[in-house]
Amino acid sequence: MILLAAIRPDDWNLPLFLHILGAMTLVGTLGLVTASLVGAWRGGSVATVRLGFRSLLMAALPAWIVLRVSAEWLVSEENLDEDAPGWVDVGYMTSDTTFLLLIVATVCAGIAARRAARGEGGGGGLNRAVVVLVAISLVAYVVAIWAMATKPS
Amino acid sequence: MYDWLLFLHLLAAFMLAVTAVTYSAVALGAFTGGPAIRVADACWNVGGIGTLVLGIWLALYVDGYEVWDGWILGAIALWLVATGTGERARTQLAEGAPGAAPVHWVRTAAVLGLLVLMVWKPGA
Repeated sequence: MILLAAIRPDDWNLPLFLHILGAMTLVGTLGLVTASLVGAWRGGSVATVRLGFRSLLMAALPAWIVLRVSAEWLVSEENLDEDAPGWVDVGYMTSDTTFLLLIVATVCAGIAARRAARGEGGGGGLNRAVVVLVAISLVAYVVAIWAMATKPS
Repeated sequence: MYDWLLFLHLLAAFMLAVTAVTYSAVALGAFTGGPAIRVADACWNVGGIGTLVLGIWLALYVDGYEVWDGWILGAIALWLVATGTGERARTQLAEGAPGAAPVHWVRTAAVLGLLVLMVWKPGA
């Protein structure tokens, strides 16, 4: 049973690699965004607010796309399109919902960065909103990692 | 048991990603601030120990794997490279020492290499 669980066809390796790479980059970026923006609202610099925005725009969103496209590739390779098991549904639900959260967080972070650059403050409320949205996404991704690893149902 | 070991092993690997991404931003010239670096360093410590201990535990637990399998020994070697260069990158980037960025990219390449070995498992 445990031996079987560890074996998979070679054709799945490349999409699986891209899927995990996208997920790791996404989670790593969200960790950076959270930590830098928490630092920013505790009196950090304009640079950390800008870093939060750029990280979301240039790393998190592209990583999400890699994660999602490779997930579709995997689902197709594993013939899970027709009757998807519960853990695949968890993945879809998590990725789709968090994509909306990431879009909103990126827009908020962009406005906060613009305000900070104009010297209108670091966008305290917006920064907090971004941190909350990103933190919710991170929790959702931990649940998704659990679902992908344990494959319930 | 296998499921939880794998989940925690993956979680530890994702913590390494937080460090790799944060220090990549530093290496590219971004100002991350103190909290981000502290979080990244904590993730590196916990993720590093977690991936190694849980990885070896998995190798002992799963019937088809042995700790002396080539891909597992390769992963341990890459883990040692990542740990060694990670420590140097942490010190040198914190001090703003010239030539610190390449050390970080070696560490990141080692982490990427670990992911390649974990997915393809050559020889398994």
